[in-house]
Amino acid sequence: MVQVSSMKEDAVTSGHGSGGRLTQKLTERILSRFETEGFEMEDCAFLDKGGNDADIAVTMDGFTVSPQDFPGGDIGKLAVCGSSNDLAVRGVEPRWLTLSLIIEEGLEFSLLDRYMESAARTAKEGNIRLIAGDTKVVPHGMADKIFIAACAMGKKMSSRTLQTSNLRQGDVLILSTSPGRHGAALAAARFNIAAPGLTSDCALLWPSLKPLMALDGLRCMRDCTRGGLGTVLCEWAEGASLGVELVETNLPANRETNAICDILGFDPLYLASEGCAVVAVAPEQAEGCLDLLRQNSISRDAAVIGRIVADHPRMVGMKTRIGGMRCVDMPVGEILPRIC
Amino acid sequence: MPESDLKAPREGPANIEALRGKLSEYLECAGRPLTFMEVCGTHTVAIFRSGLRSLLPEGLRVLSGPGCPVCVTDQSEIDMALSLAKRDCVVLTYGDMLRVPGSSGSLLKMKGEGAAVEVVTSAIQSMEIARKNPEREVVFLGVGFETTAPATAVTLQQARRNGLDNFSVLCLHKTVPAALSALCSNPDLRIDGFILPGHVTVVTGLDEYAFLTKKLRRAAAVAGFEPEEILACMTDLARQVAERDFRLSVWRLKDVPIEGNPAARRILSEVFEPCDARWRGLGVIAGSGCRIAEPYGEFDAVRKFGLDPAEDVVDNGCRCGEVLSGLISPPECELFGRVCTPLAPVGPCMVSSEGTCGAWYRYHQ
Ligand code: SF4
Repeated sequence: MVQVSSMKEDAVTSGHGSGGRLTQKLTERILSRFETEGFEMEDCAFLDKGGNDADIAVTMDGFTVSPQDFPGGDIGKLAVCGSSNDLAVRGVEPRWLTLSLIIEEGLEFSLLDRYMESAARTAKEGNIRLIAGDTKVVPHGMADKIFIAACAMGKKMSSRTLQTSNLRQGDVLILSTSPGRHGAALAAARFNIAAPGLTSDCALLWPSLKPLMALDGLRCMRDCTRGGLGTVLCEWAEGASLGVELVETNLPANRETNAICDILGFDPLYLASEGCAVVAVAPEQAEGCLDLLRQNSISRDAAVIGRIVADHPRMVGMKTRIGGMRCVDMPVGEILPRIC
Repeated sequence: MPESDLKAPREGPANIEALRGKLSEYLECAGRPLTFMEVCGTHTVAIFRSGLRSLLPEGLRVLSGPGCPVCVTDQSEIDMALSLAKRDCVVLTYGDMLRVPGSSGSLLKMKGEGAAVEVVTSAIQSMEIARKNPEREVVFLGVGFETTAPATAVTLQQARRNGLDNFSVLCLHKTVPAALSALCSNPDLRIDGFILPGHVTVVTGLDEYAFLTKKLRRAAAVAGFEPEEILACMTDLARQVAERDFRLSVWRLKDVPIEGNPAARRILSEVFEPCDARWRGLGVIAGSGCRIAEPYGEFDAVRKFGLDPAEDVVDNGCRCGEVLSGLISPPECELFGRVCTPLAPVGPCMVSSEGTCGAWYRYHQ
């Protein structure tokens, strides 16, 4: 008899927080306990019309980033952007915000003030109002300085619902900026690697996505947070039972992100972005969509990166720089730097 | 430097087409299917990631060798690291070692249970952590080949200079040429050519590999990690076989100094001494390991904590040894993709992003 001593799944590991396959399993496990019928559980949920003309949408997100200060932002800005972007990609204008702060005893007021000022500034920029909140202080060692949970709400600004099931064969995929900048900036900070010029892409997406609401060929959008672009596309392929074909040479690239990835053995496809959206649009409106995106500075580098295909359903393939084909799978477990 | 009609590749797809054509020609000249082995895990990933595998002609089989440091780390070695974590030491390691299963779980699992296990990206960083935490015993896991060993050696020199008494290294470093020589002595193995890792030869120099071409009459060439370089290397390997002209060549955009890095080698020989090492699945290979030499003995975690490296190892059905020596490809292991997946790896070949089984699983569906 062969004795198998593999790593059993008897406890939550840090890999369950990576955004890839393990995170999918974790959320399925939690959701299976609940009655979720009628909600498609994509980024945000739409509530009944509350007497208004538009649907109200709501989403919830937790932020436990380390380090809390990173080039291009901090945990305060991230909480506002991250939660609002989940609305923006579904065609919802972010309007209201609630914050729950879990603060570790000993956090300097100067830090707390700075994060909250940063959150407030970002909210103001996006015309988002704080409408409720909560604070808890936990003993030293029970949190990492500060954890923030953010609930964002807004109004749906498109008559259609943008969702994975809209995807059709032939749809064009557009990426709004180079992938993985947030993850690379954090990795550089965490592993003490000098990366001059590398900043997180952390930004509010709504201003750049709002003009796309005019396109009736707009199918579906997603922000590439944990698990990165690769994970989003795998979820789309699986969700729509269609294939995705990427063209490596079309992907917008960032030199500093690539340098960090080379050092640590990461693939930018799987690193988190916090101000980068992937957009699926009908082929005849791809050019128009690209033009609209490029008018905004955060999506100036937008590019067509591939399309939805009927071949290899549920799989993401990538045509490589040298003309080969390879499979892009969802990452498994925490992304860890390699040895050599 | 041997002359050949191939030039080091500098361009993209056009060059790829030309190289593919040449490779097919040489394969035809050779008159039989050929088997090459890429020795290094970084090559394995580069080959999969670049889609190169999909462009190789029929009649060429490419196997992955024992050059992924994670994959060759033996279960008994992981068990020593686990026992250090259990003793309340701060255990510092390069990233992908965290997931390698020992006989009772992995470092990642222990970290989840509250053990002080942290990821570092350099050996020097681990010494800094020891300096900042004088009240804790800090142990760095020295893993990897000639590429990472010099950094561990320099760290040990500095630790001695600084008189750090709460710092030690669990030294699991291994050397590549010894493993290749062991592989070649296996009569079951029919490998026609070796793709040698560029970054290892930067340290060792080419001389260490001359036995492959001169004594054993196998094709061998050094390649960088760009797909064009790897393809050019494969093409030259096929040429060497077809023309029975076995001469080491180098396919890198940047030059590899043929003499390697003498300064790094000097430090290695001062801090380490050769010892027999246990390779996962391959067994003990004489002279293939690095032991911390006597003058640095106080920093040797094995001596400091009285670790026993020769514990018995549970047979878990993993066939990594056969995978690493190219006797089978991953899907031939009955656990592959069923019991053993990146989610629940049984063997280290599935753990590492550079491991053969992991790379097959990720890119080869
Ligand atoms: S598939 Fe898993 S068990 Fe089989 S050889 Fe590879 S790592 Fe070992």
